[in-house]
Amino acid sequence: MLKELNNGQDVELLKIRGLKKKFKGVPALCGVDLSVNSGEIVCIIGPSGCGKSTLLRSINYLSEPDEGEIYLNGTPVKPERTGIFKNDARLNQQRAKIGMVFQSFNLWPHLPVIANLTLAPIKVLGCPAEEADKRARELLEKVGLSAKARALPSQLSGGQQQRVGIARALAMNPSLLLFDEPTSALDPELVQEVLNVMLDLAAEKKTMIVVTHEMKFAEKVADRIIFMDGGKILEQGPPQSLLRDPKCDRLASFLNLVG
Amino acid sequence: MMGLNIDVIRENLPLFLEGLGVTMLISVVAIPAAIMLGAIVALCRLSSLKILRTGALCYLEILRNVPFMIQVFLIYYLLPFYGFRFPAYVVGIIGLSIYASSYFSEIIRAAILSLPTGQLESARSMGMSKLQAMIHIVLPQLPPYIVPPFINQSSTLIKDTAILSTITVQELTMATQRVQQESYDFVEPLVFAAALYLAINTIMIFTMSKIKQAKST
Repeated sequence: MLKELNNGQDVELLKIRGLKKKFKGVPALCGVDLSVNSGEIVCIIGPSGCGKSTLLRSINYLSEPDEGEIYLNGTPVKPERTGIFKNDARLNQQRAKIGMVFQSFNLWPHLPVIANLTLAPIKVLGCPAEEADKRARELLEKVGLSAKARALPSQLSGGQQQRVGIARALAMNPSLLLFDEPTSALDPELVQEVLNVMLDLAAEKKTMIVVTHEMKFAEKVADRIIFMDGGKILEQGPPQSLLRDPKCDRLASFLNLVG
Repeated sequence: MMGLNIDVIRENLPLFLEGLGVTMLISVVAIPAAIMLGAIVALCRLSSLKILRTGALCYLEILRNVPFMIQVFLIYYLLPFYGFRFPAYVVGIIGLSIYASSYFSEIIRAAILSLPTGQLESARSMGMSKLQAMIHIVLPQLPPYIVPPFINQSSTLIKDTAILSTITVQELTMATQRVQQESYDFVEPLVFAAALYLAINTIMIFTMSKIKQAKST
């Protein structure tokens, strides 16, 4: 439900209603409702195949839902249709406000790190090159990779690439940050450096939705944890109560397995 | 060892070289035209509009399943009906460009599809339009995937110009046939023509690989 404006708190940033999605007849999402307020940090947990990635990817329309509505700041997130033509202009504007960090980083290999950070602000936001460059360097400093500005992604370790991925998402100054299992593809010793960057972002009260298996991280950082299974949200709540005292059986067994 | 009559080649050298010139002219004009046309068709095949996709597919199916010679004859005989009276070599260029575009289109499409989708996803997730993603992410990464097949395809097309002799284009094969008819020497002109085709292709491939080497350093 839309709450009153109150110092920028409790503003509903994202609203999802009745989201359904099937892949080749196999249901991935079976009617998901979700609201996220500005400044909230939400972690989504659940077993493999429960639909958490599909849900996340539907938020910026990378995955097209079969049914349901998604609203960012009250505006629907989907292409506009005029006759037979699909117009992506409004969708692109929405996407520019949503930053996404991918499990496989998805950096652009032909561009040096600094260009990975400046390309979208210049081309999508129309930011002047010097300003984009300055902001990119500040972000690289923030994630601890100033020395790698001119390196190519292939010359970086997984942890470094993911930090670049986070910096790249931040370069667009998004209102909402989506993380799709950001550390799942990393060697264990590289996971912490990425989590540290995410901890800093959480401390700055950025609105974040994180799909993750890192339970300790989720417990530390989340305002709310959402447990999904079989394409539905089964339980959600503050980490202390959800993790210590799960109400639903499937959540209890999941937590036993994952620890 | 059968004595080869070199004189017939020496005497008719200007004719051969003229034919070679026409072959090269047609190749140099038709291949780039075919690449550009092929790029447009490839984009149509990847378009989100079904009508473009189907249209491109029909275009490709026709061009790849009808012999080049028949295509060229059709264009040669049909164009005058629509008021176009071009010299034979122009018809040759048009025919070769259209035919070749079907092959270049598939090379380009395969190259575009071979790029990991994650990169396009990250581009679009930041608000880039399909066009921007194509220009800034896809296009710059295509060359290693398209240059080697392009070179192979160009070599094939240079050889295919020989078929244009059937519509009276005065290229190398037609010149060879004229020398054969006038001198009644059938072997030497063919051997020389083969050597010339071999030379063009070898030079072309060699030059392209030198350019590729220079670019990658």
